[in-house]
Amino acid sequence: MTKSKSAYVAQNPWYVKLGNYLKQFPQGLAQGSRSNPSSSGFAGAALISAAFACFFMMVNQHFAAAFKPYEELIWELGSWIPGSRNADKLYGEIGSYSGKETILLITWLFGWLFLSLLWRNREIKGGTIFFCLFFFLVASTVMNWHPLFPYMPLMPK
Amino acid sequence: MNRNTLLLPNEERIIPNKPIKQKDLATVSIYGLSLISAGLFLLLPLVNLLSPSPWQRYMGAIHGCAALFAVVVIAYAGHLAFPLLRGKAEILPQMRTLTFWSSCLSFLAIASGNWVYMRYRAPVNGARAWITENTPLVHYLFMEYHEFTVLFTLPLGIGCTWILWKYGDGIMDKKNRSILTATCFALMAMMFFAIGGLVTGLNVARIHSL
Repeated sequence: MTKSKSAYVAQNPWYVKLGNYLKQFPQGLAQGSRSNPSSSGFAGAALISAAFACFFMMVNQHFAAAFKPYEELIWELGSWIPGSRNADKLYGEIGSYSGKETILLITWLFGWLFLSLLWRNREIKGGTIFFCLFFFLVASTVMNWHPLFPYMPLMPK
Repeated sequence: MNRNTLLLPNEERIIPNKPIKQKDLATVSIYGLSLISAGLFLLLPLVNLLSPSPWQRYMGAIHGCAALFAVVVIAYAGHLAFPLLRGKAEILPQMRTLTFWSSCLSFLAIASGNWVYMRYRAPVNGARAWITENTPLVHYLFMEYHEFTVLFTLPLGIGCTWILWKYGDGIMDKKNRSILTATCFALMAMMFFAIGGLVTGLNVARIHSL
């Protein structure tokens, strides 16, 4: 018999109770949905859209770095984010990064919606989901470093 | 004193003040060291409060706390993806809420990051101009990676939360095995990007404060 099962401990201490409560909070989420989908299309849509959006944002980043007018265009797209443009030179501004974040958000949410509708009743193979996830995430990560960066710095000074 | 001891008649009881065993000392030492290490690690963003830069003292401290809190919770979720992948169904309810809170914290870390990024790019004494001028590799290796990969955690986290909720306990069924595997992989990727984001962010911050 171990110490943790001691007969003296009538109930769990407060931090264990708090931990157990937090594990189940919010309850509705912890219990899971009652109507489970019968196909893997929904899961494929959720995961592939997320990974594709990351990939698309990184492709977009290269275009934005290479073409100044395009960077201005996506900056406009991201102007809804607070701090995207700010005249205060001491405080600074987010710049075109806000547009790149917006591109990620739009691609992800629209991609998720589109694929969910497209794959509603379709069975997507595990290999397809896994390959797309792996490929898009690895490609997105690698694209953070441009192969020519020492010679052709992508980011404008 | 344990339950077995309590069942014994008085004369057969083990003496109450039994000597501390070697095993107990080892356990106490390991737990103590773990708690001290974890505690010191959690205090890391407070170092920002000692910075001579007023921007770093409040912006850096707030983003540091948000980022560290997010990374700790995301890393916990990422570690629990391993037993989930092995089919430990008992942790499913916890995984659903944990992935949800990981996504919320990821959002807060990103939002505070956007705010800090403003000062990072500021034309007056901004860190970015100094780093690209004096040590461009820090910018191209760490900051580029930091800027974008931390954003990956949000869609991955929300996608995983939705799948774990929507498929309910049925995700552990044999026919949904591939979905479970892909979700756990996405959670591990989320952990990878979050930890990578913290490390690169720390590297940039130690080269030049805000």
